[in-house]
Amino acid sequence: MISCKDIKVTFNAGLATEKRALRGVDLEIPQGEFVTVIGSNGAGKSTLLNTIAGDISASSGRLLFDAWDVTKVSAAGRTADVARVFQDPLAGTCGNMTVEENMALAYGRGKRGGLLPALNDDLRVLFREQLKRLNLGLENRLDAEMGLLSGGQRQSVSLLMSALQPSKILLLDEHTAALDPKTAALVMDITDQIVEEKKLTVMMVTHSMRQALDHGTRTIMMHEGKVMFDLKGSERSNYEVKDLLNLFAKARGDGEELDDDKLLLGA
Amino acid sequence: MSLFSFLGTLEIGLIFGLVAIGVYLTFRVLDFPDLTVDGSFTMGAAIAAAMIVSGINPYIATVCAVIGGAAAGMVTAWLNLRFNILHLLASILTMTALYTINLRIMGKPNVALIMEPTVLSPFEALGLSNMYLKLIFVAVVVVMIGLAIAYFLNTQYGMGMRATGANPRMAQANGIVIKQKIYAGLALSNGLVALAGALFAQTNGFADSTMGIGTIVVGLAAVIVGESLFGSRSMLVIIFSCIIGSLLYRLAVSVALNADFLGFTTSDLNLITALLVGLALIVPHIRREQKARKAAALGGEA
Repeated sequence: MISCKDIKVTFNAGLATEKRALRGVDLEIPQGEFVTVIGSNGAGKSTLLNTIAGDISASSGRLLFDAWDVTKVSAAGRTADVARVFQDPLAGTCGNMTVEENMALAYGRGKRGGLLPALNDDLRVLFREQLKRLNLGLENRLDAEMGLLSGGQRQSVSLLMSALQPSKILLLDEHTAALDPKTAALVMDITDQIVEEKKLTVMMVTHSMRQALDHGTRTIMMHEGKVMFDLKGSERSNYEVKDLLNLFAKARGDGEELDDDKLLLGA
Repeated sequence: MSLFSFLGTLEIGLIFGLVAIGVYLTFRVLDFPDLTVDGSFTMGAAIAAAMIVSGINPYIATVCAVIGGAAAGMVTAWLNLRFNILHLLASILTMTALYTINLRIMGKPNVALIMEPTVLSPFEALGLSNMYLKLIFVAVVVVMIGLAIAYFLNTQYGMGMRATGANPRMAQANGIVIKQKIYAGLALSNGLVALAGALFAQTNGFADSTMGIGTIVVGLAAVIVGESLFGSRSMLVIIFSCIIGSLLYRLAVSVALNADFLGFTTSDLNLITALLVGLALIVPHIRREQKARKAAALGGEA
């Protein structure tokens, strides 16, 4: 489904501040695989995700969705195949528009925006049904302004929005990181449901080792702009959080226990 | 205030309602402060007047005026999107260039349209007095355009435009090509402003190279006055509050100029405008502060 062929991304090329964020990533993600991505700060996790989304264009290499070469396609142009949820709950929705208007926008993803009304009663029924799944009472607040909702509520709605249109790829950028543990669990739960229902190919960046192992079917670890470790199948199911931490330590090249494993363990 | 000047005030207020809608589209919907309107208002008037004087049908002239204004808006969008020039600066550049272009279009600093046919001519046979005819015609046009814009902002395309201004990253993630929306929004906004200019020239009988000065402030004043009176999320209410804001603004200015005890003269117009816009901005701010203080005091007791 997603093929990354020797993708390199360099920021500020040729300047003193040059940063080689991705140094040649080769990755094949088959249809229906749920990949969790871990790695320390600056390892290139978010850059990889944003490159697949199209926010960042690759300096070299090729990116394909099945047979479709999207290397030069804009972020908006890729949305027929790609849906995403951002880390910041405020980023995925428009605060000054209502819940139903936001959902209508997401419903129009990948279609040409026409001159027919974006909302109608059939859509409201659909939106209400979807919002019921959240058990947050939002199905009765379709006309509430998004900005009045809590961060957790907004993130939950963002997640529903990403699934309103059929897409093949779902990109999750630490989408539970800004939420309290209870809401994070709820959002993760709905994520799993949606992925299961729609048979999506998923890439989820996370800081939590627990989350990386508990969800999905494959885990990759990024380090200094490269895929350093690729875990799948039975090998992955035998892995524990502490094994991942050891890998981290090895990646840093000192072979010692990490002193900041609290940060890495996360919620 | 005499009936005559009252009707005149309403008519100009309605025409500037179109300017207010245009300003609302750029400042509020797209979050793109656009000063091009000072030039595109005059441009609308200049194109309409120059074409009518040379014998072209006033309706064709008005359509051309709208196209001219839309093109001016797209130049501003192009400068901003293609060359990354700050939106305010890009619009000031276009506005400055338009001053010369408008003089070229007219061939002289002003064109009189007295005795020339206008968009009103076909309706003169109705037998209404010219004063009422102008007012009714302008009111019908402005209300129809208001309805159309409110409808537009609730379509998929229009909603994409709103998302572009509110959260470009989210818009893009939902497949909205934001550059296209900015081009379209600026073209629409300046097209409306040019229409206002063309109507103004035809109802008032002249086009003048300096008539557009301060258009942006008047439009903004109308938007802000409207917003402070109606706090609704409905596009229909918002668009009509722009028009009503424009009417109220004109009436307030007219009252201020007519009230002898205030001692204002026509040349004080800009100061009055600044004071009115200032008040409309300051009052809600102070109210919010007071509310916050009260809430804090209550929280302290609990």
